[in-house]
Amino acid sequence: MNDRAAIDVAGVTKTYDLGEVKVEALRGVTFTIRSGEYVAIMGPSGSGKSTLMNLLGCLDRPTEGTYRLDGDDVSTLSDDRLAAIRLKKLGFIFQGFNLLARTSALKNVALPLFYAGVPARQRNAAAAEQLREVGLGDRMDHKPSELSGGQQQRVAIARALVNDPAVLLADEPTGNLDSQTSEEIMALFGHLNEGGRTIIMVTHDEEVAAHARRVIRVRDGRIVDDQATVGR
Amino acid sequence: MSFFSYVAEALSVLGANRVRSILTVLGLIIGVTAVIAIQILGAGMSGAVSGILGQLSDRTFFVVPNQRQADFTRAAIKLDDLKRLRFGVPNVVDAVPGGATVRDARFGHVHRKLGIGAQADERFATSTPIRWGRKIDIDDIAEARHVCVISGEAADKLQITDNPVGGALRVGDRRYTIVGVLAKSKAGILPSLSNLEVSIPYTTYENEYARGRAIIAMRVLLDDTSKLAQTESDTLVWLAKLKHGRAEYQTFDRKSFSQAVDGIFAGVTLVVGLIGAVSLLVAGIGILNIMLVSVAERTREIGLRKAIGATRLQVLLQFFIEALVLSAFGCLVGLVLGVGIGAAVNQIAIVQLSGVVAPIPWLRSIAIATGFATLVTLAFGTYPAWRAATLDPIEALRYE
Repeated sequence: MNDRAAIDVAGVTKTYDLGEVKVEALRGVTFTIRSGEYVAIMGPSGSGKSTLMNLLGCLDRPTEGTYRLDGDDVSTLSDDRLAAIRLKKLGFIFQGFNLLARTSALKNVALPLFYAGVPARQRNAAAAEQLREVGLGDRMDHKPSELSGGQQQRVAIARALVNDPAVLLADEPTGNLDSQTSEEIMALFGHLNEGGRTIIMVTHDEEVAAHARRVIRVRDGRIVDDQATVGR
Repeated sequence: MSFFSYVAEALSVLGANRVRSILTVLGLIIGVTAVIAIQILGAGMSGAVSGILGQLSDRTFFVVPNQRQADFTRAAIKLDDLKRLRFGVPNVVDAVPGGATVRDARFGHVHRKLGIGAQADERFATSTPIRWGRKIDIDDIAEARHVCVISGEAADKLQITDNPVGGALRVGDRRYTIVGVLAKSKAGILPSLSNLEVSIPYTTYENEYARGRAIIAMRVLLDDTSKLAQTESDTLVWLAKLKHGRAEYQTFDRKSFSQAVDGIFAGVTLVVGLIGAVSLLVAGIGILNIMLVSVAERTREIGLRKAIGATRLQVLLQFFIEALVLSAFGCLVGLVLGVGIGAAVNQIAIVQLSGVVAPIPWLRSIAIATGFATLVTLAFGTYPAWRAATLDPIEALRYE
C-alpha cells in the first residue's frame, strides 16, 4: 500500500429520473481508496452499493460530485472515453463469470487486449502468462463449459488482470461458488493484493468481506461505516 | 484490431450456429443463384442470336407487307416492278424476290423433304463458308439455270459424304445440278435457319415454283451501307407510290432484327432485376431477423464486451461484420451455384441449339453477387449492429 489515491470520490450523488419520481440512489458519498488497498463494499439490497460499483467501474457517471480514478477526473467523460478508461485502468470480475461460452480460456483472457489493439501473437502470449499466474496453465484451450466454477472464475480473474489495471473490481465474486472454492478464490485475491493489486469487492457475505482489509458499509445511499477489518 | 480479427470472430460465432446460419442465407443463395444463372442464360441467348444475325449481310434488307393491313394480297408486286426498284431508288444496287417452298428431293437413293428457296448471287448470301464447289452466281441467275447449292445440314440429311458437285439433285421431275455445298454452321441447329436447305437461282425459282403468283417478300441490295436507313425509307416511299398508297410495307435489316432481340432481352433483364430486388428484400429481412435475435441472445456478452472496454464502434463493427460475413457467404455460394447452373444450362440448351459459345459474363456475375452482399449488409445489417452498439452496459450485464 502506498499513499497514491487509486480512487478519490468526493460528494458524489446519483439520481435516477424515472419521470414522475426521482430516485436518489447515492446521496453524497466521499471516500478515498489508496493504491494497493483491498476494500469490501457491503450493504443490503437497495442500499446503493450496486450504483456505487457501477460508478467506480466507469459504467455510469455521477449526477453530482467528482470521481478521480488513478489521478484522472472521469466524472464527465463521454461513453467512448469511459470505455477507454475501463479498458486501460479497470479489471472486472462478475458473480456470473461472464465468459464467452464458445471461446477457449485463452481467447477469453485475451479479449481486452483485442480491444486494446494488441496483435494476436502478443495477446495470446500475455493471456497464457496470465492464465499460468492464476494456476490454469494446463487449461488454456478448454471452453468454459469444460471448466469448474472455480476454474471459470480464475479465467475471469486472469481476464481482469491481463491489461494490468489500476483497480480490480469484483462484484460478488464468490456468489456462484461453493464455500471451498470461495476460499480458494479469496486466497487468490489475498495473494494478488499482497502483490500490490488494488482490489474493490462488493459483497453481502460477512465471511467474504472479512478477507478484505477495509470494509465500507453503505445504506440508503450513504456511507454508514468505513473501517479496517479486525483480526487481519 | 484488424478487420480479419472481426471476420475470424464472426466466423466462429456463425460456425457455432451452423444450421441457423445456413438457413438464414438460404434465401440469399437462391436469389443470387437465380439472378446470376438467368443473366448468364440471357447472355448466352443474346450471343446465340447475334451470332446467327451476324451471318446476315449488312448490305441487304428485307421488305415485307405490313401485317396489319386488311388486304394482304394487295401488297403483292410483279417481278418487273421489282427490277425497276434500282432505277427508282438511289443507292439500291439490286432487288430480288424472296421465296421458299418444301418439296421432295432425291439424291441418289435418298429421299428427303427439303426447303427449296430463291437465292440471289453471292452479294445477298450469308457469310457461311462453302465446303465444296461454289455459290450461286450472276450467270446462273441470268440464264435461270437448274443448279443448286445445298446447305451442310441438308447434305447430312441426304447422306452426302463425298464431294457431290456435278451430281444431280432431283426435285419432283426437275433435275438440278449441284454446284456447291455449304459448310455446316458450327454445331448448332438455329444457324441453319438462316440458310436455305437448297438454294436455287431466284429466276429459276420464279419459273418453277412462283409462276403466275405475285411476289410478296423481297430482298434489296444496297451500295453504301451507311445510307441504310435512308434507302429503306426511300424504298417504302417508292413502293407506296407504285401501289398508289393502297398497300403498306415494312423493312427489316440486321440492325432492326438485333434491336428487336435486344428489346426482348431488355425486358427479360428488367424482370430478372425485379425478381432480384424481391429476393434481396426477402433475404435481407431474414438476415435482419436473425441478427436481431443474435443481438438479443448475446445481450450479456455485449454488456461484458463493453464493460471490459469495447467502444461503440468496436461493438458495431463486430455485428456489422457478422452480417457482412453471413451475406458474403450467401452471395459467394450463390455466385458459384449461379455460374455453375447458368453455364450448364447454357451448354446443354443454347450452345447445342445455336453452336455459339458466349463467354460467361464473370465480371457482371461477380458484380451482382458483390452488389447483393453489400446492399443486404448495409440495408439490413446496420440496424442490429447499431442496436448492439448502443446497449447500456449496466442493463446488458443484468440481462437474463
